[in-house]
Amino acid sequence: MNTAPLSRSLLRVTTLTSLKPTAGLRTFASVAASQTAPAEPGSKKPNTKQFQIYRWNPDTPEKKPYMQTYELDMNQTGPMVLDALIRIKNEVDPTLTFRRSCREGICGSCAMNIQGSNTLACLCRINVSDSAPVKIYPLPHTYVVKDLVPDLTQFYKQYKSIKPYLQRKTASPDGREYRQSVEERKKLDGLYECILCACCSTSCPSYWWNSSDYLGPAVLLQSYRWLADSRDEAKGARKSALENEMSLYRCHTIMNCTRTCPKGLNPGQAIANIKKEMAFGS
Amino acid sequence: MASLFRSSLRTSTATAIVPRLSRPVTTTTTTSVAAAAVKCTGMKNLGILRQAGMAKKGFHVSASRRILPAGPQIIQGTVNDAAEVPDPNATHGSYHWSFERLISVALIPLTVAPFAAGSVNPVTDAILGATIVIHSHIGFESMVIDYIPHRRYPTLRKGAMWALKGATVLVLVGLYEFETNDVGITEAIKRVWRA
Amino acid sequence: MKRSGIQRDVLALYKLCLREAGKKPTEVQNNFRNYARASFRAHLDVNQRDFATIEHLLRVGRRKLEVYSQPGIKNISR
Repeated sequence: MNTAPLSRSLLRVTTLTSLKPTAGLRTFASVAASQTAPAEPGSKKPNTKQFQIYRWNPDTPEKKPYMQTYELDMNQTGPMVLDALIRIKNEVDPTLTFRRSCREGICGSCAMNIQGSNTLACLCRINVSDSAPVKIYPLPHTYVVKDLVPDLTQFYKQYKSIKPYLQRKTASPDGREYRQSVEERKKLDGLYECILCACCSTSCPSYWWNSSDYLGPAVLLQSYRWLADSRDEAKGARKSALENEMSLYRCHTIMNCTRTCPKGLNPGQAIANIKKEMAFGS
Repeated sequence: MASLFRSSLRTSTATAIVPRLSRPVTTTTTTSVAAAAVKCTGMKNLGILRQAGMAKKGFHVSASRRILPAGPQIIQGTVNDAAEVPDPNATHGSYHWSFERLISVALIPLTVAPFAAGSVNPVTDAILGATIVIHSHIGFESMVIDYIPHRRYPTLRKGAMWALKGATVLVLVGLYEFETNDVGITEAIKRVWRA
Repeated sequence: MKRSGIQRDVLALYKLCLREAGKKPTEVQNNFRNYARASFRAHLDVNQRDFATIEHLLRVGRRKLEVYSQPGIKNISR
């Protein structure tokens, strides 16, 4: 077993599988052919863009993952990468698999690695002026379920471990809802917007190495969201859950999380705030 | 500066994809909408493509896998269980962090003071030496914790920790010798600076 | 015969599958056993050095076992 990592790496280097055309692809060629016919005379000349997409099928696990290239006419495709993906799935290759739901950056389903950085496909514009192909991978350092679908089990398990809900023993004084002042509510801005897309966690080198113990930026941001909430009464328990060398302190302020966040949040700062509160109390 | 950081992020995220599944093969199939044809390049064409890529790149002769990738994710327990929360231990948690910052902050005046004062005091020299050693010990300790995960290499982890402790003690002894039998850190730096 | 770690993992999973099958009602136990057997047989041709594939199959297998071992699952058929 000790030799396994070595042989595994050899395996990875030497895999060059030839790919046979999928039978399903040909049946959909007719749709594509109908699109080449110009819709109206004098329309713009075709502006094709290549998409290189990571493919891996769990039904044939022995076949190694490969990059498949698709070409789309940008004049007939929406502006975002998700538009292109949906069009590829609808018109070219229905076997392409990815998660998507809201197509407006609020569900966090379509998180993937586009052009080397993690982002939501629905918020990522296709750079039309650039002729280079768009490279799309699943989120790095996650198990792949199929094609662009990552296995986020560990991420959700960790989210569950921080008890992401209001913990309170005492009832509100007037028996109505728990109220906050405007200032107290303001502390939650920049925290509550997190959609748990896992872009930040999977871009964090610390999380790549220690995802079994380190919670990762997204979960820590959520943890701080409850630490910063004036209504929550379990702050001591929440803090003591982070009081060990792995859960929180594997953050070395690399700041990939803040750089990659498709919602423009700052998990790095939230983690710094937790560290500050842990050190000085508050 | 920003673009520098960005590019480093990109390469780091792009080079280390998916732990278990091997690195994908580049461009094996081409599916074109416009041409309405599925082109397929087999092994032979792939070889040509690769050669062309090599000729174009020129500078890049190193292998694409330069760094040791992180190990696979370890998922313990069932899907619906929460990840386990370790026992609270402030010595390894917030106290450790505060101590680490304190040492880092203390290093700034300690480094400047002897040169600003112009005098070489063996006591400040000793404090400076000890602080630097503790600071680097904490740094190396972090590296060991990060890169030798306890769950995967328990023995190697213990060995690395003891090796680090041994090295730290060795350096402390060496510095003690240097301070007592030789000129001391500050004076040595001064001499090297003026040499 | 000395087995490698991954072989032991596979055998442990198989054993666990059979044990979980034994916890089901007597009349359907064979269905669960046959399902487990067929699931393992389906991948007999995987190269024993293909760790990536075997570990993937192990993960999938554990996940399936977790689901099928729930008391709510009363029977299984193909």
